Amino acid sequence: MDSYLLGMGVGIAAGVIVVAIVKLRAVKSMSVAEKAEYLSNRRARMLPALAVIFLSQQAAFLSNLGAQEQTSAYAAKVSAWLVLSIVILAALATKGFWLEPKAVRDLIDDENTRANRNDAMRWGFLFSMAAAISVYALTLFKVQLSARDAVHLVMTIGIPAALIRWGYLERRAHRDG
Amino acid sequence: MAERLANRLKERRTELGFTQAELAEKVGVTRKTVNTVENGVFTPSATLAIKLARALGLRVEELFWIEP
Repeated sequence: MDSYLLGMGVGIAAGVIVVAIVKLRAVKSMSVAEKAEYLSNRRARMLPALAVIFLSQQAAFLSNLGAQEQTSAYAAKVSAWLVLSIVILAALATKGFWLEPKAVRDLIDDENTRANRNDAMRWGFLFSMAAAISVYALTLFKVQLSARDAVHLVMTIGIPAALIRWGYLERRAHRDG
Repeated sequence: MAERLANRLKERRTELGFTQAELAEKVGVTRKTVNTVENGVFTPSATLAIKLARALGLRVEELFWIEP
């Protein structure tokens, strides 16, 4: 249990560091429209990178898949992964940029962004369901998976699918032409 | 066959000498949204279509039309 708490603590600490960096690097001299454009552009570039980071965290889980004994290090990594998953899901489900002024957040989440976000959520849902069906089918062939492993696999497929789709749509929207 | 919403947003915007960013600011969206509407990538809501038409001094049906 302590290892899980440690992992969550590390995940939250990483989040706080990211927030601090974002705040320190904040550009003060931009208008609301310029700032929204800048942040929207940055998000479009960050989404695929976030998907890669998320997937790379799965190495710890996949290397331990089906194992009876779970080490403290594994528990810590899985907890940190859980924190990251919750933060990403919250970003997908809300306007994101929680530390920015409301005017900037409202503008970033304009009509096109909402449409792109909804489409990404739809992809995430479809990929999650496909993963759930695959996991279910696997168990028919006597593959032993715990409920926790199954949920982890579904999230491993669903969340990056939504991130990649959103990133693709945002980058396409920013492209001139 | 799928119908698409065509527009003369870019033509009219250029006529009036607006940049995408300036038009976006007038209607309260990001430049990205104006860009996607211009390129036909994104179909705007009725609300946004009316706002865009107003900002460009046209009626909605002069700015947007359906192409088979």
